[in-house]
Amino acid sequence: MATVTSTDAPQGGVVEGHGATNAGRMEEFSYDDSIVRMFATATIVWAIVATLAGLLVAVLLILPGLAGGSQYFSFARLRPLHTNAAIFAFAGNAIFAAVYYSTQRLCKARMWSDALSRMHFWGWQLIIVLAAITLPLGITQSKEYAELQWPIDILIAVVWLFIFGGNFLMTLIHRRERHMYVALWFYIATIVTVALLHVFNNLVVPIGWFASIPVYAGVQDAFMQWWYGHNAVAFFLTTPFLGLMYYFLPKAAERPVFSYRLSIIHFWSLVFIYIWAGPHHLHYTSLPEWASTLGMLFSLMLWMPSWGGMINGLLTLRGAWHKVAADPVLKFFVVGVTFYGMSTFEGPMLSVKAINAFTHYTDWTIAHVHSGALGWNGFMAFGMLYWMLPRIFQTKIWSDKLVSLHFWIGTLGILLYIIPIYAAGLMQGWMWRAMDDTGHLMYPDFVETTQSIVPLWWLRVVGGLLYVSGTLMLGVNALMTWMNRPSEYEVPVISAPRLSKEYNVTEPKAKSHLEGAPVLDLSKKLDIFGRMGWHRSWERLPVKFTVLTTLAVIVATLFEAIPTFLIRTNVPTIATVKPYTPLELAGRHIFVSEGCYNCHSQMIRPMVSETKRYGEYSKPGESIYDRPFQWGSRRIGPDLAREGGKQSSFWHWTHFENPENVSPGSVMPSYEHLLTEDLKYDAIAPHVQAAAYLGAEYSEADLNDTANVAMAQAERIAAEIVEQGGPAKTYEKQAVALIAYLQRIGIDLFAEETPAEAVPAETAPEGEAAPTDEPAEVAMNHANGSQID
Amino acid sequence: MIKDLVCALDYSACAEWALALFVVAFATITYGTLKLSQNASDRFASIPLTDHVEDPR
Repeated sequence: MATVTSTDAPQGGVVEGHGATNAGRMEEFSYDDSIVRMFATATIVWAIVATLAGLLVAVLLILPGLAGGSQYFSFARLRPLHTNAAIFAFAGNAIFAAVYYSTQRLCKARMWSDALSRMHFWGWQLIIVLAAITLPLGITQSKEYAELQWPIDILIAVVWLFIFGGNFLMTLIHRRERHMYVALWFYIATIVTVALLHVFNNLVVPIGWFASIPVYAGVQDAFMQWWYGHNAVAFFLTTPFLGLMYYFLPKAAERPVFSYRLSIIHFWSLVFIYIWAGPHHLHYTSLPEWASTLGMLFSLMLWMPSWGGMINGLLTLRGAWHKVAADPVLKFFVVGVTFYGMSTFEGPMLSVKAINAFTHYTDWTIAHVHSGALGWNGFMAFGMLYWMLPRIFQTKIWSDKLVSLHFWIGTLGILLYIIPIYAAGLMQGWMWRAMDDTGHLMYPDFVETTQSIVPLWWLRVVGGLLYVSGTLMLGVNALMTWMNRPSEYEVPVISAPRLSKEYNVTEPKAKSHLEGAPVLDLSKKLDIFGRMGWHRSWERLPVKFTVLTTLAVIVATLFEAIPTFLIRTNVPTIATVKPYTPLELAGRHIFVSEGCYNCHSQMIRPMVSETKRYGEYSKPGESIYDRPFQWGSRRIGPDLAREGGKQSSFWHWTHFENPENVSPGSVMPSYEHLLTEDLKYDAIAPHVQAAAYLGAEYSEADLNDTANVAMAQAERIAAEIVEQGGPAKTYEKQAVALIAYLQRIGIDLFAEETPAEAVPAETAPEGEAAPTDEPAEVAMNHANGSQID
Repeated sequence: MIKDLVCALDYSACAEWALALFVVAFATITYGTLKLSQNASDRFASIPLTDHVEDPR
């Protein structure tokens, strides 16, 4: 092995020709650690930014006035910034650092293209910066973890699939190690599945450069979103980190993985099962019961392979536990893998309907997410970085004591974060459903629950502060280590021939054990098939392996998606549910832009405690014009599914000005800017046209004279506000559009019956009565099961 | 055509179909994994331990 020196510039021409396939000819190559240094540095920078953003939103939740009334720094606009920074910036760059370091070494080959590696790096950082700019500006699709608007989505697809995926796959094809190690399988699953999820969840009709509406509506939009949302956790925060675990844990422990066989079962089980589990995010909602049950069933199945993986990780340290006591890198890995086990037990548990009925919309989900994100993703990334930093900077780590301090302060930070938030979730769950002896809610005022958990939110801030301080320690340690780097990095050059095309060294062409025996040819063929040589060959063929993994994911997806989309009885129509007016559409756009879904759900579940608090439970047919759906996933504030007509328009105006004026103790910030900024009436028409394009029925006036139609409704609401004691001339302001939307939510179900409209024949399956022929109440009965609780 | 086909299916059986599919796939993978020889398993597991090319590959 030779060694050359290098600066941090790309080593594009390192003595390797990709065209040669002559197995006997020796080739020289080196690993591209420059790109690893870039991604590792970005990981550390974004870890600090993401955790600081998390700390900021945790404080803003308790002290909403801290934003000074600025719409750009409200909790609801910054929360997606925090989640996107944590997932795509911090975890994303950690994944890439791990992939670029380990793939080259597992393939015994340099990345296929240095240029693509760098395009990937800068393209991804550009996406993160664009997210950081657009989200505080209120440019969002309002789908959790898929908030970024369509131009950025296209950029993500290109950078992820064609640049990163293409470079990765070509590296696999040009590898010098025959067997693809299991970590590479996890990377393959990550790349193909995330691409699928991203593309199909983000199919939209653009409304200019900064807005869009999804092609799906209501129930189907919710289904797609949580198919994406759950599998973003699975294939962005789990499978690549498992790949990381299967590579870096054996490296750090200096011993092979406990059971390679178990790792294979772990991989295929996750690929087959995870993709089904999304509907467990929608228990007791308007999603069809069968889909919800299917999601729960597969979520429960996930427990076993996940724990198989955890056990495999921990037992890799068999005979090396003494090292854990002394090596903080192993400590990070052990705690990380333990949190993986904890989260993957808790996840299936939370998917059980009876438990989910209690925990959904509460802070329990937030605690669950953070035990996974801070414990599993964070600590695995930190362990990898501390192991990698001395190697990529070619000097010893600046301070071992600081690494240890980071470990302990980080662990304490996680515990101090999740324990109070679990408690907050329990309190919310109990208080929301508590009934007195007379059958009435014990805590009918929503703010009462919120106020009772504020002290626990403060404890979370302390825990978050400790975790942030740990990431700052990592930053300082990495910076000081980098400053002690050699003036020029050594680049080991390795000589090896390419792989031969034919593989017949250890597994000659399969011959049946029954050869010569008096049996049918079929028996011999079955005997050869049963020896599973075909699977061993798949494990050596990256393109075939990738196609098969993609097929496994697609087949599972179609099993759920096709019935949800094509079977009409899943979403029974309600005759009185009509499209939003132009002004209401404008108000809905403001609702989406402000990120109201971050705190308010619009989905009343069929439970006594919910129907008593919020009103009639939500029906699938009520959200057929909701693009995007706004069911939400947590309740920092009350549900809004029946908000229409509950309060006066002036109440809403005052509420936007300062929520505490009408709801003392509220943690909602002021939205005063909606009272002062003018509504752009000319900008409403494209929203109406897009809705009409996707099937909503609008009149000629709505489509061609949109601004005047909207203005007429705004004037009516402005007149109401004046009658109720409010200011004059409010029709010009954005708040009026939002009020129009809020006053519309959930009232169509109770609207006066109009003559039944014919259901388009082509959408009604034969032999099935059209629900629109029935009174609204009768049609509603098709919509959901009976009330529970 | 696919719409007609799907409409004709009894979608309530989806969960059972899915479970059967999973059981078959899982059983096949488990069987195939158990057929992996100890020698090959050890060789594959040791791949990450060295950054250099080691024969036989």
